[in-house]
Amino acid sequence: MEEWRQIFIHGMDMFNVVIVAYFFLGNGMYTVLMVFSLASVWLHNRRLAYQGLDELRESPVTPPVTVIIPAWNEQEIITQTADSILRTDYPGVEVIVVDDGSTDHTLQRLMDYFHLVKMDLIYRPRLSTRPVRGFYMNPRIPNLLVISKENGGKPDALNVGINMARTPYFCTLDSDSILEHDALLRLMRPVVRSPINLVASGGIVRILNGCRVEKGRVVSVSLPQSRLERFQVVEYLRSFLFGRTGWNLLGGTMIVSGAFAIFHRETVLELGGFEHDTVTEDMDLIVQIHHWAVRHHRKVGMCFTSDPVCWTECPSTVRMLQKQRRRWQLGLCQTLWKHSEMLFNREYGNVGMLGFPFHLYVEALGAAAEFLGYFMVPLAFLFNMVPPLLYLLFVLVSLAYGGLLSVGAVLLEELTYRRYPSFRELGTLLFFAFLENVGYRQMVLYFRFEGVVRFFAGFRQWEKVTHVGAGQ
Amino acid sequence: MPFLIENIIRVVFVLFVIILLGNFVIIGLAITRRQRREKYFQRIDTLRAEFRPVVARLVAGRMDYQEGLNRLKGISGPDRFYLWEQLLLEKRPSSVEEPILRQLCEDLGLVRTWQNRLSGRVDRPSVREAIARPEGVIERVGRLRFLIRAKSAENLGIIRHRASWPLLVKALNDPYPDLQSVASRAIAAIREPESFLALVAQLHKVVLDASSTALSLRSVKSALVSFPLENASGLLASLRHPNRRIRFLATDIIREMVSREAEGDENYELDRKILGTELVETCLEQLPFDENPDVRARSTGVICFLSDPRSAPVLLTLLRDSAWFVRLHAVRALARRKFLPQAVQIGPALSDPNWRVREAAVTTLRIFGSAGLAQLTDHFVNTEDVYSQEQVADVFQRAGLIPELLRRYAAADDSQAPQVLAQLARLGKTSYMLSVLTNNAEPDLRKKFLLGFGRHPDPQIQAWVGQVAASETDLEIRSMARAAMAGRSLAGER
Repeated sequence: MEEWRQIFIHGMDMFNVVIVAYFFLGNGMYTVLMVFSLASVWLHNRRLAYQGLDELRESPVTPPVTVIIPAWNEQEIITQTADSILRTDYPGVEVIVVDDGSTDHTLQRLMDYFHLVKMDLIYRPRLSTRPVRGFYMNPRIPNLLVISKENGGKPDALNVGINMARTPYFCTLDSDSILEHDALLRLMRPVVRSPINLVASGGIVRILNGCRVEKGRVVSVSLPQSRLERFQVVEYLRSFLFGRTGWNLLGGTMIVSGAFAIFHRETVLELGGFEHDTVTEDMDLIVQIHHWAVRHHRKVGMCFTSDPVCWTECPSTVRMLQKQRRRWQLGLCQTLWKHSEMLFNREYGNVGMLGFPFHLYVEALGAAAEFLGYFMVPLAFLFNMVPPLLYLLFVLVSLAYGGLLSVGAVLLEELTYRRYPSFRELGTLLFFAFLENVGYRQMVLYFRFEGVVRFFAGFRQWEKVTHVGAGQ
Repeated sequence: MPFLIENIIRVVFVLFVIILLGNFVIIGLAITRRQRREKYFQRIDTLRAEFRPVVARLVAGRMDYQEGLNRLKGISGPDRFYLWEQLLLEKRPSSVEEPILRQLCEDLGLVRTWQNRLSGRVDRPSVREAIARPEGVIERVGRLRFLIRAKSAENLGIIRHRASWPLLVKALNDPYPDLQSVASRAIAAIREPESFLALVAQLHKVVLDASSTALSLRSVKSALVSFPLENASGLLASLRHPNRRIRFLATDIIREMVSREAEGDENYELDRKILGTELVETCLEQLPFDENPDVRARSTGVICFLSDPRSAPVLLTLLRDSAWFVRLHAVRALARRKFLPQAVQIGPALSDPNWRVREAAVTTLRIFGSAGLAQLTDHFVNTEDVYSQEQVADVFQRAGLIPELLRRYAAADDSQAPQVLAQLARLGKTSYMLSVLTNNAEPDLRKKFLLGFGRHPDPQIQAWVGQVAASETDLEIRSMARAAMAGRSLAGER
């Protein structure tokens, strides 16, 4: 018995070391990202004063872009989304909506709204996909094409869109999203201005819930009413303004949100399109591009910019949030596993030496470690291995640091874009940023832990998050 | 051991207090920042509201210039420069507003300041001044001054300050990438002919030694394309450059310049007065025969606008080029009404091995109007080439020609319409026509279609006939549909 007790105590000791290491490693890296992002976003914001969007809009050199919107059972919002893209401020935008075998009235709503007729167009698939059922167009809106196909998942729908796209660049957009009128132009700005070939460009995704939408445009920005959604606003700010910007500056970009991103079509075709073996096809594609660039000795770039805004609906119920976060975590694990040879591989530069290890140890496995920590550390306390005061203080430090990162994200927003105009909303944001680490963080951590468990259990299914049309 | 634990607890406690304080400091910072901004911008907004009508009346010529200038000069405070910028450059000026705004900028001393700043002479404010206004910190910190310099270059471009072009050309070689980029755009906005060559030099730099400049190829191209066509001769040396990429880019830039000038003018013609004899000769005698197919392809976009008898034969030669994208560009270039006499020679492109060329050929013939359409339909019903048929059918649908085709079929004023419909049905491209028949068609059209195609084996037509037979309210049409179904069953039994 004493022997087992010793083994247990030893195991607990080891675990506590892991937890402490995770705490310092993770938070240390977050601090670095925070400092870098603060400088980078502030500087970027100042540079917007001479961005030259007018010239970009009028230049014949600005390449046309096809926006691909995959949709599955999105009857509530699909027309609003497509309409908003058709009204977007970009020279030469084409829109392809891919109805991925919806079982609701997604296709019918599109047909009715845009007066589409079925056409038997030529389909030349360079990427293999599930069969296409039909093409729908209105000759008076030649830049809109709706494709109906058999259900094959989001990557398959995107691949159909890529097959039908004619432009050198395409933009992936979630069907529950609304672009700001000049978001595409802003997203293409780094592509046009970069001296190296930029093959992917991502923008910021913000929460639509609570905002007022008219004719496919966000006309007034405000915070959502529900606490769950407000927490997500803070989370998105932290993730996009800190995480993505920081990694972009460090040259370790591994995620460009597929909800709103531009890709170079030929590069994606060369890679074989979006693959089906992970549930986060956007991250998988970015990592694949890194692979491809190293293998083929191509000098290409990927960037994240914080001023092109895409408004998206966030889950409004705990159940939907659970599905979303579980999937994200599962996809993260799948992608990292699939490309594991990049780990600490110097060939991949900062992606291999910094980005990949961080995402693996802190974002993927760290979720499991932190979650288990909530149970194991009290056990250690029960077994008299850690003094209760130390345990309590450690938990408080962890929560306070989480709060620091969140309020830091709100400060960054305040220093730069200030999308939430009223003083009251700023106060609310700060309040929720401070509170986020008590309750909400643990709940999301549990969902992420579920994602990790599902990964080890071999789960591969996409989980649909239902949207209700959050923009009022 | 207890001593160690106590120390750890102490350290962790201190850490906790520091982090917690950090939280409150950040919260405090965010709130203070918002309060200060609101206070600052309240003042700015008030002034803006007061002086915006003054600027509006000035640029519209509804106010005495001197009076307006004096009123603007009356703005006081450390941020008056910022406010002037805000008021005068709030939106891009129209060509009418531009001269007055430019004069105002000069008279208010803005131009001089921008020029100084662009040259690196930025006044360093005191710490107190720096904190008092948003721009202050940037002006004070040396490494951030490039932001002010770039903004100054942008402003000079917005008001098209012609005399500033040498400064902007100099900025093309500034160590700060932002300066280079903004300067290229400002030069493009000012369009001073002498600066064109500086941009051409940048183009060569980007291609031959990309590491020596931070400018992107697209940025340089975009700037060059903005210049009037009269400057195109500045690219002659590039057209003869040994580097094939430079030749290609120079050709493409001229093509873009030409297409911008020609935009909206169907009959636009280029003559030697605009391009110059040397450039015209280069376009006709050298570029179409360049060893680089990209050059040959892009040259078509210039040749098609030349009012020279050689242009059509050259384009037709390129229509038979070995590179498919040269043929593609050639057939696209021929899409001008003046090439209608060459329509017959475009015909073979409808059966080109590359689908993009086939598609472009269909589009080109469509642009020729009724004559082109007649040739297209003739080709569609007579060709054995299925790929070509599919391509034509595709364009017919995308262009929305099917309703018109059905109308002609019903009116019997086009002998080819029944054949085209039959060909579409044979190819299985019937969705569109059936959609028209279901939603908008006149009873006579549906009757005629039922008589002509009611027994067609196409599954979509069969389904439509079945639907009409089951649910049509017009009894005559319903009985015709039933007859068609019966006839088809009999034919099937046989």
